[in-house]
Amino acid sequence: MQGGSSGIGYGLKYQARCISDVKADTDYTSFLTGTLSLKEENEVHLLRLSSGGSELICEGLFSHPNEIWDLASCPFDQRIFSTVFSTGESYGAAIWQIPELYGQLNSPQLERVASLDAHVGKINCVLWWPSGRCDKLISMDEQNIFLWSLDCSNKSAEVLSKDSAGMLHSLSGGAWDPHDVNAVAATGESSVQFWDLRTMKKVNSIERAHVRGVDYNPKREHILITAEDESGIHVWDLRKAKAPVQELPGHTHWTWAVKCNPEYDGLILSAGTDSAVNLWYASASSTNNKAPESPVESTRERVNLLLNSYTDYEDSVYGLAWSSREPWVFASLSYDGRVVIESVKPFLPRL
Amino acid sequence: MATEAAPMDEKAKRMRDLLSSFYTPDPSISTPTSSISTSFDNINGPSFDADQYMDLMIKKSNLDVLLQRHVQMAAEIKNLDTDLQMLVYENYNKFISATDTIKRMKSNIFGMEGNMDQLLHKIMSVQSRSDGVNTSLFEKREHIEKLHRTRNLLRKVQQFIYDLPARLQKCIKSEAYGDAVRFYTGAMPILKVYGDTSFKDCRRASEEAIETIIKNLQTKLFSDSESIQARAEAAVLLKQLDVPVDSLKDKLLEKLEQSLDGLQINPDEASKLAEHNVSSKDEESNNQGPAKIHEDAVRGFSEAMRAYREIFPDSEERLFKLARALTTTHFENMELYIRKRVSAADFLGIFREYSAFPPADVLLLSNSLRIIWEDVVLMDEVLPEAALSDLSAEAAQVTLKQFVARTFSHLQQDISDTLLKFDINQKEVVDGEVLKVVLEASGKAEFRQLLDENTGIFVKMNDLLIGWIQKGFQDFFSEKIHAGLILVLAQLSVVIEQKVIPRIAEEITASFSGGNSQAFIPGELCRVFHAASEKLLQHYIDTRTQKISNVLRKRFKTPNWVKHKEPREVHMYVDMLLQQLEEVGKEVKQILPQGTFRKHKRSDSNGSNTTTSSRSTTLHSDKMARSNSQRARSQLFETHLAKLFKQKVEIFTKVEFTQESVVTTTVKLCLKSLQEYVRLQTFNRSGFQQIQLDIQFLKAPLKETVEDEAAIDFLLDEVIVAASERCLDVTPLEPPILDKLIQAKLAKSKEHNNNNNKTTVSS
Repeated sequence: MQGGSSGIGYGLKYQARCISDVKADTDYTSFLTGTLSLKEENEVHLLRLSSGGSELICEGLFSHPNEIWDLASCPFDQRIFSTVFSTGESYGAAIWQIPELYGQLNSPQLERVASLDAHVGKINCVLWWPSGRCDKLISMDEQNIFLWSLDCSNKSAEVLSKDSAGMLHSLSGGAWDPHDVNAVAATGESSVQFWDLRTMKKVNSIERAHVRGVDYNPKREHILITAEDESGIHVWDLRKAKAPVQELPGHTHWTWAVKCNPEYDGLILSAGTDSAVNLWYASASSTNNKAPESPVESTRERVNLLLNSYTDYEDSVYGLAWSSREPWVFASLSYDGRVVIESVKPFLPRL
Repeated sequence: MATEAAPMDEKAKRMRDLLSSFYTPDPSISTPTSSISTSFDNINGPSFDADQYMDLMIKKSNLDVLLQRHVQMAAEIKNLDTDLQMLVYENYNKFISATDTIKRMKSNIFGMEGNMDQLLHKIMSVQSRSDGVNTSLFEKREHIEKLHRTRNLLRKVQQFIYDLPARLQKCIKSEAYGDAVRFYTGAMPILKVYGDTSFKDCRRASEEAIETIIKNLQTKLFSDSESIQARAEAAVLLKQLDVPVDSLKDKLLEKLEQSLDGLQINPDEASKLAEHNVSSKDEESNNQGPAKIHEDAVRGFSEAMRAYREIFPDSEERLFKLARALTTTHFENMELYIRKRVSAADFLGIFREYSAFPPADVLLLSNSLRIIWEDVVLMDEVLPEAALSDLSAEAAQVTLKQFVARTFSHLQQDISDTLLKFDINQKEVVDGEVLKVVLEASGKAEFRQLLDENTGIFVKMNDLLIGWIQKGFQDFFSEKIHAGLILVLAQLSVVIEQKVIPRIAEEITASFSGGNSQAFIPGELCRVFHAASEKLLQHYIDTRTQKISNVLRKRFKTPNWVKHKEPREVHMYVDMLLQQLEEVGKEVKQILPQGTFRKHKRSDSNGSNTTTSSRSTTLHSDKMARSNSQRARSQLFETHLAKLFKQKVEIFTKVEFTQESVVTTTVKLCLKSLQEYVRLQTFNRSGFQQIQLDIQFLKAPLKETVEDEAAIDFLLDEVIVAASERCLDVTPLEPPILDKLIQAKLAKSKEHNNNNNKTTVSS
């Protein structure tokens, strides 16, 4: 509605929550997204940004048995991805492979590589290690965290280890540290918890209620970003996790998702239920500089932190993904099933 | 021959005449004969004609006579010849002697030049000699003249000294001590040196007179009845008389110190003054009483200081000390007083009871500050070097800082204790006043200081102010206190921004007409406070919605919505939600001003927002009425369609500082949260019906409280739509059943309210 949008749109048939960058695809900028419809047949769309960057092409459309609550593309094989799905009453998680010859088939079926079927409760997410080839997977439900060993060729997955967070914590999501293959963060009811996967034990936590989204800074170690319902976005240094390093105001309503740019340090994208996507710049220098400034300066700085607010959405935005191939491009997905690809180039600060 | 002789005679005679006329200036004497003869026969006459004379002679005379005549003539000629010869000889002689003389003169003149030079030289040397003599004698002459004058003077002095005792006596009689002292001091050196000689009597007499004068002056100096000027004069005179004044000075300063004690009751007076003010407005005239007395006292003090300063210029140090002591005591008393007042138990009571007045404390403080400042100004005029203004500015800063700190801490305590019972506006006034006073005082205090210093201190002052406030805010934040307080602070920031800062700016421009305004930028400060107020308001809304979110979260986490039982009544979380909202409403009403416009009543308005909202309701009720099996699909479609045609309802608008705006924003955020929670669940038929029922029930009370009905309608519909989308089997409740359940709930809550109004217990 707020004219002048440069975004490239693509409409899904149904409502949708999740979108993922296909990291392993080095030839094209592509995204995977899945619909969330309780009663209709759900679909997984493989979208590709045309080489000119002016068009979003549906490269593949695959039917998926249940509504998709979470979707993640495998970082080393562009044809493999994971979903978390629900029948309405029960939840499941699986690894899928896009069929070889899908271009020729009319409505190709996805090949199920493996089912992560050790869960009983509501499954939240499946995590791939973001930094490269790793045959391990993490899945989380509300109480437990599982570490899987995936064998694609044998089409099997085994539980390596698991840990229970306890009844009270009710995990809701998480992130895998790209700098440390053994560290995982999970968001819970009242805190963000950190696991060491070698011992499968909780090692640390940040007491912070109602964290919705969490993301590691891929460019700087120990830096974590959280998105919270009411209180906006916080940047943490995990070495001194008592207090956030930086605070960003977030969104008018809940801040749902937050993503660090894979290339430009300090560039943060957040999506909120106020139907907006905000682009922030939390510069490294300002995070280091913790000395109390004069109030005038700090407010001025705060104003400058928000580089742009994309408001051309009709509904809450839940899905958000940077492209790793073209790191100035991101895809956003609003609940009404609209995918919008935007470039942040015009808003980048002069670095 | 005779003829020849005759002419010869005549010729000789004529020659003779000519010569005699040449040598004797008187011709009459030389030629007496010629004058006797007639013109014709006058042989000496110029018109003598020899032929005529001859003819005549011949004719007239006979021979005898002729002969005679001839002899006579011949003799005459002979005579003439000798005479001529004599004359020539004499002339020649004379000529020769003249030639000789000239010859002699010539030889004489020849040596003269040298002589003349010599003469000149001699004359010159004579002149220089005379000059030398003159100069060598000049000094002596001067000296002699001086001595002469001194002698005259001495004669006069002698006269004066002989007259001195009499004159002194006269002065004593007429009390002209100044003159007396002048005379005496004039005469003193003489008396001292020559007192033992002829002036002995005079000296004794005048010393006696001076004794009396000293005595008189001392009594004058110590008598309080005399004016200070007179006393000062006396002191000056005494000093001139070489009387030891130090002891006198000490005595006087002690006296002054004693008089200071009199001045120091000031704060108590001021407190009385303030109490007067509090107890009754009519007694304002009384207030002027002590203030005036005090002012007079201070004026007297400063006068005395001025006098003393003149009297004893070397005692400045001590005066400084005194003045400083006075100021310090002032401030100490103030501090004490503040401590007393602030810690008094009735701190709150005063505010509440006398809400019509500005708070007594602040009034008092500002009064005292003003008084002290006036004192300081008075004293400063007298003792500019004492830097009293600096001192007092510093002290004032300290005091005010304390005051603000104290008020702040009390404020904090009080607010957290009795927020809801308390009229908050009072506190705003307090803080506003405090800030104002601080600034006023600083503005005045710094008026006199150097410009550079000013800027520095001002900046510091600003920082301090901001610092205090921010620290206060942070303290509030860090402790988890009542959300209402945040609202108070937000409003306070607005007040500061809108009222206090302009006043401060005014004050500053009034104080510094020079235009030294870089130090204080009201715009910047305003911006800071504005930002702070917005942040605080946002924070308030956040805390509020967070609370409500918790209620909702619990509601949606706990039941298994897929296995929900048939709805029997409106769920209790609705009550809690309404209760929370009511609380917000209450707080907001107490603190924030009302909006400029009242909310539109749906029934009597045809505004644009009504059309959109009614459209959405009709769509919605259509949806609800229909109950075919394909509804889910068509519903989604419909929703999209509706969205396409409906103008986008602005859910998240900017929050304003009005009751309505805050409440509306809170409700909107809550409903949005509700929608989001619903979207995360999956419902069975009964679960959906439960949501439908709850929302239907919420509709009426929410619309009551909220300004923007269209948005609320839209959001409520959105919740229903979200629930239907997440529902496995969408079968809405029939309207009659819905109605019945709602009525039952209303009746129940009414009954509940009647039974016990103490607490709103969840059903």
